[in-house]
Amino acid sequence: MISRAVTIINKLGLHARAATRLVNSAAAFDCELWISNGEKTINGKSIMGVLTLAASRGTQLNIEAKGKDENEAIEGIIELINSRFGEEE
Amino acid sequence: MTLALTGHAVARGIAIGQTHLAERNELEIGEYRIAENEAESEVLRYRQAVEAAAEQLDRLAGRVTRNVGDSAGEIIHTHVMMLNDSKLRQETEDHIRRELCNAEWALQSQLEQIMAEFRSLDDEYIRSRGEDIIQVVRLVQSKLNDASAGKPFENIPDRLAETLVIATELTPGELAILHEKGVAGIVTEHGGPHSHTAILASSLGIPAVLGVRQARNLLREGETLVLDGGLGVVYADPDEAILEHYHQVQRDTARFRDSLEKVRHRPCHSIDGEDITLHGNGERREELQQAVDQGACGIGLYRTEFLYLRGMAPDEDTQLAEYTAAIEALNGIPLTIRTLDLGADKTDPQFDYSRLRGSVNPALGLRAIRLCLRDTDLFKTQLRAILRASARGPVRCLIPMLTSTREILMVRSLLEEAREELDEKAQPYDEKMPLGGMIEVPAAALAVDDLGRYLDFLSVGTNDLLQYALAADRLDEQVAHLYDMQHPGVVRLLQSIFRAADRLQIPVAVCGEVAGDRRYTRLLLALGLREFSMHPARLLEVKQVITETNISRARAALTHWLNESGGQVELSLQQLLDQSQQSQ
Repeated sequence: MISRAVTIINKLGLHARAATRLVNSAAAFDCELWISNGEKTINGKSIMGVLTLAASRGTQLNIEAKGKDENEAIEGIIELINSRFGEEE
Repeated sequence: MTLALTGHAVARGIAIGQTHLAERNELEIGEYRIAENEAESEVLRYRQAVEAAAEQLDRLAGRVTRNVGDSAGEIIHTHVMMLNDSKLRQETEDHIRRELCNAEWALQSQLEQIMAEFRSLDDEYIRSRGEDIIQVVRLVQSKLNDASAGKPFENIPDRLAETLVIATELTPGELAILHEKGVAGIVTEHGGPHSHTAILASSLGIPAVLGVRQARNLLREGETLVLDGGLGVVYADPDEAILEHYHQVQRDTARFRDSLEKVRHRPCHSIDGEDITLHGNGERREELQQAVDQGACGIGLYRTEFLYLRGMAPDEDTQLAEYTAAIEALNGIPLTIRTLDLGADKTDPQFDYSRLRGSVNPALGLRAIRLCLRDTDLFKTQLRAILRASARGPVRCLIPMLTSTREILMVRSLLEEAREELDEKAQPYDEKMPLGGMIEVPAAALAVDDLGRYLDFLSVGTNDLLQYALAADRLDEQVAHLYDMQHPGVVRLLQSIFRAADRLQIPVAVCGEVAGDRRYTRLLLALGLREFSMHPARLLEVKQVITETNISRARAALTHWLNESGGQVELSLQQLLDQSQQSQ
């Protein structure tokens, strides 16, 4: 199991399109993926879960992955977040 | 007598036509018990309904993506993901088995639990995503139900030209179907400004007013309706004055569109005969196509970040396939591929991402070319893919966020290594592929005379350059007023870039948002810019201003403003430039 902290930096935060991209990306990995915002922890492969994180710009999330491709998964998800989900700002 | 109703203004535009009232979408959800040995067949019935719903939405998402674009298709795709979400899917199945109740009821109970969670959230936008979940659940419930209830579009005519549909509520999927039938406008009783239906209406260009209370009771079938999507007002049975006003607005809009059409086939030069080059920015298929259609001379900015957002970094062949598809879509006009512009180191496991917060500023950190020069394997893979693409059509390579000459020399030497690696495998490439640099760092902007000697062309990224030069994040509302294209310092900075490029005799373009903003077209022309790169939707508007500008007059007004008034005049620089066109 590995875990890492990451900050949401895109303007709109984890809104629907960003959440869709995150879940799509998470679904490509076999490992379990859990994302926490403070006390709340959700399954990173659930679109509804990711939406209820209500993570706006500046929110710090903790990402936890467990499984054989956990390293690739966590790198991939963090890169997606740091690249502002491909959004301009 | 005119009846005016108001709601949320969600999608601009005027629609005038006849109303059609869609059937109410109401489903009676009853609860009944099932026997223990019926549980599995009930679960199966539920699965089949989910699959039927997913299949319907999937097909629709495909059609919308093809006909409208990726972002519109994504909205419907999000609904497919909700359908398949374990929170809904698995837990409803568990509920059927545990409580031994019918699928409709299990789904309803699960929905209520999820909704309770969404309603408790502070963020209004996220709260409105609950509406999406209700719509998805309704669709499954309607699939569980054999009767026609919950299928409100069975009675909709096939052609809806000049028809405004009035509905209790519309899902994005239903809206997409109405769009295919040519609907003129929509009015709904429910649905807010953040709803996906609102977002989709706006991207489909359908004038829409949502959240009009009692609309179905107050409006009659077949009556004349005027809808003003920008104001969020509908007028039923409008009097002559209102009708005439809106017909006038429609004529003015049509005239503006016509006037844009007139410049489409005209050569792009100013009144005083200067040739101006227009390029498009884009990477999605529909953007590339639009750039070609609107007469762009090339793609001035093709971003590659999207390739890196699918989990792992893309390999050389995957990239080559993407670039080749773009080249083929462009019909021979050149493609400027910008190398990776990402904001953090992904391949170094020692890198502590939490450091991006607080003390380390990501905007000033390890990103773009800085990152690529640190991870040279990642960068060379991309350089090889770009080089190989250059054998298949006209390609230029653009490096983001250059700061120093040393960086350019490093890029040049990596490019040389990439060429040698391709030579070993006898893979072809264009030996003369131009190498350009983005000017975004203020120090680089002031050193174009030095950096530009090692580059074949320049592209000014004004979004970042202005932000760094003014030390103001334009997304931060408290300081956004400082983000000003007409600040004398910004004006002089841009002027010095264009002058240096002119001395070096290398082409320079602006690819930031100001290039596509017609308010600044005259300013950029007066400063000496001759190449613009913008979102393809803006090309004709900017071209129109160019063909109506006398650049030497605009330049005289700018010189006067810079020398005499130091920016301290009654009129804004923009007004002065416009005024310079009218005198004599």
